[in-house]
Amino acid sequence: MRVEAKQGWLASRVPGFTCVRDMLCESRSPGAPWLATLPTLLAAMLVLLLASGVVLAPFYDPRHAYAALQTIMRDVPGGWLVLSYHQIGASLAFALLYLHLFRILLVRGYRAPAEFGWMLWVKLLVVLLLAGWMGFVLNGGVGGHSSLFNAVNAAMLLPGIPGAVAMWVFGGASGGATLARLLVFHALLALCAAWIILMAFAADKKARPVLQGPGVPFWPIYAAQYFAALSVLALVFAVLLGFVPHWGQGTQNTIPAATAVIPAAISYPWYLTPAAGLAGAFPGVAGHICAMILAAALLYALPWLDRSRGARHGRVYMALTWLLGVDVLMLGLVTAFPMGGVLPKLLGLWFYFHFLVLTPLVTMMEAA
Amino acid sequence: MAESTAGPDAVPPEAGRRDFLKILAMAGGAVGVGSVVWPLLGALTPGAGGKAQARPIINVSDIAENSAKAVQWAGLPILIRRLTDQQIAVASVVAMADLPDPAEVSSRVAPGNRHFVVVVGLNTGIPCQLEGNSPTDPRGHYDGWVCPCDGSEYDVLGRVRSGPAKYNLAIPRFTFINNNQIQLG
Amino acid sequence: MMRRFFASLLAGGLLAGVGAHAQDTLAPLRFQSDGVFGSIDLAAAQRGFAVYQGVCASCHGMKALHYRDLEALGLTPEQVAGIAAGVKLADGHAATPNSRFKQPPLVSRGGAVPPDLSSIVAQRSGGTHYIYDFLTGFGPAPAGVTLLTGHSYNGAFPGGQVAMPAVLHDNAVAYADGTKATTAQEAADVAEFLTWSADPNLSTRHAVGVRAVIFFAFLVIVAVLTKRRIWRERG
Ligand code: HEC
Repeated sequence: MRVEAKQGWLASRVPGFTCVRDMLCESRSPGAPWLATLPTLLAAMLVLLLASGVVLAPFYDPRHAYAALQTIMRDVPGGWLVLSYHQIGASLAFALLYLHLFRILLVRGYRAPAEFGWMLWVKLLVVLLLAGWMGFVLNGGVGGHSSLFNAVNAAMLLPGIPGAVAMWVFGGASGGATLARLLVFHALLALCAAWIILMAFAADKKARPVLQGPGVPFWPIYAAQYFAALSVLALVFAVLLGFVPHWGQGTQNTIPAATAVIPAAISYPWYLTPAAGLAGAFPGVAGHICAMILAAALLYALPWLDRSRGARHGRVYMALTWLLGVDVLMLGLVTAFPMGGVLPKLLGLWFYFHFLVLTPLVTMMEAA
Repeated sequence: MAESTAGPDAVPPEAGRRDFLKILAMAGGAVGVGSVVWPLLGALTPGAGGKAQARPIINVSDIAENSAKAVQWAGLPILIRRLTDQQIAVASVVAMADLPDPAEVSSRVAPGNRHFVVVVGLNTGIPCQLEGNSPTDPRGHYDGWVCPCDGSEYDVLGRVRSGPAKYNLAIPRFTFINNNQIQLG
Repeated sequence: MMRRFFASLLAGGLLAGVGAHAQDTLAPLRFQSDGVFGSIDLAAAQRGFAVYQGVCASCHGMKALHYRDLEALGLTPEQVAGIAAGVKLADGHAATPNSRFKQPPLVSRGGAVPPDLSSIVAQRSGGTHYIYDFLTGFGPAPAGVTLLTGHSYNGAFPGGQVAMPAVLHDNAVAYADGTKATTAQEAADVAEFLTWSADPNLSTRHAVGVRAVIFFAFLVIVAVLTKRRIWRERG
């Protein structure tokens, strides 16, 4: 009784406070697939990233980044475990987000009225990529340092307002002072990510079709499914944590940035490789930057690039979507294991070609 | 997956087993979350090194009678002085009325070990490090410490005896863990 | 309470890990730390520290380590204090268990600087085995190879010419546990020691991993069964 009165009091003052209770009581359409749990799993990873980040932050020192990580791994009680939480949490968060985005593409869940939700997921991708890159740089290893060195030098070449903004972010030559800034931005982006995913949940909820028939309550039907999905995620996490903690993280960051080693090619963590590959599709510093912005803009604009009407899935477009998935995967691979030739460029250009040309064309033809 | 066999209100035959499963799942979930969170808290708890730094243990057996040892703790100079019986006797007969900041002997010496005085070695007038740790240092008229900056004088117990300072030397928190060692903090 | 609970879990895992492994063998070369279930061979790592201290420390530092960290190899605090007391730091004082490993004066051999060995196993592909191959790879230069001054031939080193001399030889150190100090044994032991120093939590990580995988595998089964039953009943 008391509690309910209190909830009523709070609910009448803080809108959205009752969202957890509402969610538990909510009626949903029965039989949702396992893959519909991906956003929740992603949210769980973001919570873990925030929590482990909060624990790591007081031990981090941007002016002695490599030494700080050594201290965390060797001298902080359980520090190696918390660092692994953060690294593997990032890896899995990206894996889940990539899977979720690809699933939306396949079921074409980006179309009205869900386009706002889609745009939020794309925003989350952009924010996580930026935060992920900063995390890679914050390690204080050779790999991160050369990446930062490239980025800062590129930024210095930018004219006008973009250059000013870039310098405002980096604050000068790559080094401790830059890392101190990136640390702040890394944390800010993490908070942004938390906010965006909450918004995305809300948007997706609004976009859900109106229930036909009685539906089933979230608790315990869907709670049981989410719980099972979370335990599978925990199992995968445990395997990575115990036996391959550095899988896909790149090896160069084990060497301190101070040593006079300049790697021929930077080995990025696997989750940054597709983006790095896309950036490389256009030549020159300005080309890389424009490529990144264009890629994000195309994803963002997808609800309008798709010209089809109704729910019918065109066969050709479906095949093209799968092809795009393969393309991005390959792009990551050829960036991780650099090879010469035109293949990397072609794979990168295909991405733009897919969204800019194929998507409007094919959907228009298949709608007709 | 979701074929329906019974209405929502019918009591399922396997209710008992399901309840057991449910409890097991919830307990398992709680243990899982707990074991993930535990290391996070563990990392925030200072390790052996951090604790030793926060509450250092100091050996006092090597302090000669009538001299003091200075250690740095939390940025403050801590003076630990071993008194002679005669110094305690002299300090005990000082009339409270003669003291700018009256304090009994018992409130100034280490509880349980009245030969030791532990004080923060900073003048209480203008901040300045005191002199007088070694018997050969200047110690003023009261055999204690003097401030080289403003001339304030303290007795062996760290009580101020002549000005400009108005207050006795501060006493840090410490405990004797045995006859030879004290722990600060 | 909780801490003791977890500590005993970990300790149990370590013992199981040690019990499950045979001793290192030199032919075929196999380290107890190899593989996803590997753990540090503490006896070998202790001997390896003796090799490091007696042979390598004059050129290579290990600045990520403190002497107190050696307790993790099974040395007692008294032994560690004894080791530290025997080291004279650059400022003239004896080291204490809380001191970092002594930094040797910087030597540069023809421009090549001896790298810090704290994390060398993580920094070289091939890890433990590469270190062993490197340390046993010295030999006479094959015909047609002219060595740069101050360089030695080493078949395992990329390029074959290294600015480090061959420093290991039979009985370069005397082992306290009576193991015969052959060149290969010394190389294997110091490789195991460097494996530990690059990843001091290797054994613990694997023990925690085994426990976590078993627990969460169990949880997956329970959770999937629960979900199925609930979905069957509630339609
Ligand atoms: C006389 C000084 C000296 C001693 C003693 C010495 N090293 Fe070296 N070491 C060097 C130098 C110099 C290099 C750099 C070689 C180069 O880059 O060409 C080096 C390089 C190395 C490397 C890196 C090889 C690579 O792949 O880059 C390892 C590993 C190594 N030493 C291990 C050891 C071990 C283990 C010992 C003790 C058994 C030892 N060293 C003793 C001078 C020494």
